[in-house]
Amino acid sequence: MPMYGDLGNKLVQHAKRTQNLAHLPSYQTELVRAVAREVRDLDKDVASLLEPFQGSFDPSAEQATACTLLVNHLSMRRNKRCLLAYHRTRTDKLEELVWSGSDVLDLAGQQTGGGNGGPVADSGGSSSLSPQEEDYFRQYGDLLAAYKGQWTDIDLTGSLEPPRDLFIDVRVLKDAGEIQTEYGAINLTKNSQFYVRQGDVERLIAQGYLQKLG
Amino acid sequence: MSYYDIDSILTQSEKIPCTFQLDIPDLGYLDNTPTQPLKAGTKVNLPLWLAEMLVIANSGDAEGKSFVTFDLPPALGNDVVQALKADPRAVPLRDQSPHFYGLGTHMMDLSEEQEMAAVLRKTFVTRAAEVALHARKVGGVGHRGKGPEEGSNLGIGGAGEEFLRGLDEWERKLFRKAHDGAKSGKEWMEGVKKH
Repeated sequence: MPMYGDLGNKLVQHAKRTQNLAHLPSYQTELVRAVAREVRDLDKDVASLLEPFQGSFDPSAEQATACTLLVNHLSMRRNKRCLLAYHRTRTDKLEELVWSGSDVLDLAGQQTGGGNGGPVADSGGSSSLSPQEEDYFRQYGDLLAAYKGQWTDIDLTGSLEPPRDLFIDVRVLKDAGEIQTEYGAINLTKNSQFYVRQGDVERLIAQGYLQKLG
Repeated sequence: MSYYDIDSILTQSEKIPCTFQLDIPDLGYLDNTPTQPLKAGTKVNLPLWLAEMLVIANSGDAEGKSFVTFDLPPALGNDVVQALKADPRAVPLRDQSPHFYGLGTHMMDLSEEQEMAAVLRKTFVTRAAEVALHARKVGGVGHRGKGPEEGSNLGIGGAGEEFLRGLDEWERKLFRKAHDGAKSGKEWMEGVKKH
């Protein structure tokens, strides 16, 4: 028989799995709602239990009720912790994705491409983020951009690996338009190949527009 | 152990056997009988997050009696403790509980088990040495010349496999850290030689 807190536990198990994944799995809208509903039900129970006492409840006189109230309270508190931990795990992941230069739209593309969400989840190109998470992602991205803007001569999100060669060969995987480099403009059209300065295209490689060769 | 720590939350969902000390009309559902009251003396397995507070909470009468009393979970029972005393390396802790040490720590918060503390400490120390040994072997120095991708593989063969399968979550983390540490160290050394 299911017990209070079981659903919250499921949510935390999802979070545990999320920690070990490179991408962000779909947001558990239903489960989150169910846990929140459980909290509201428990709160209602508490209110109706306390109602006959008219604000003069004496725990030592009504031990059984006191214990029930404690169990309800602890269940609510547990659910709250599960909900917060689930969302925190996901926002941590989102922040990581912002720093590594991923795109919300890219994420939605992965979701449909992966095909692990079943036919229902795949239809309509649904994102694995909740609308609130998409907002968070966007605003965190803005924050990071503003922070990075303070230094024009250093790229905070650049690779930490020192480059072996200043110039590299790259192949264009999808059209990325024209980019400006020190040596003039290059037009990046699909399937073309270039010998470019690594620093100029690092971003595009991370975003999956270009592939490094050799 | 932060509030948001996933493993800490999962540890607290481990169940321990509890006995209720008073009749409670509304909690029958805890014993699978939602329509009937929960009788004093009923034994129920409760998750730690619930049991912990019910054990500590005082029911408010003169004797200061708790709502529930608890027993040690089977994972920390006498059989297991005896087996650990004999040889800590021979017990697959994961089969007892995926969060074996977490469970043990919580139980020691609730009761004064001097012997348990000593047994668990010795268990961890003995097993940690073994974990470190395996972590270095896997894809480490012994695998030289088999190609770089060998090193990233966590798959293990031979006698160690059985032992490593039995690691609890904490030990698994230790294993991964030791393994990654040895691997990064090796990679760095190779990088130094090249330049």
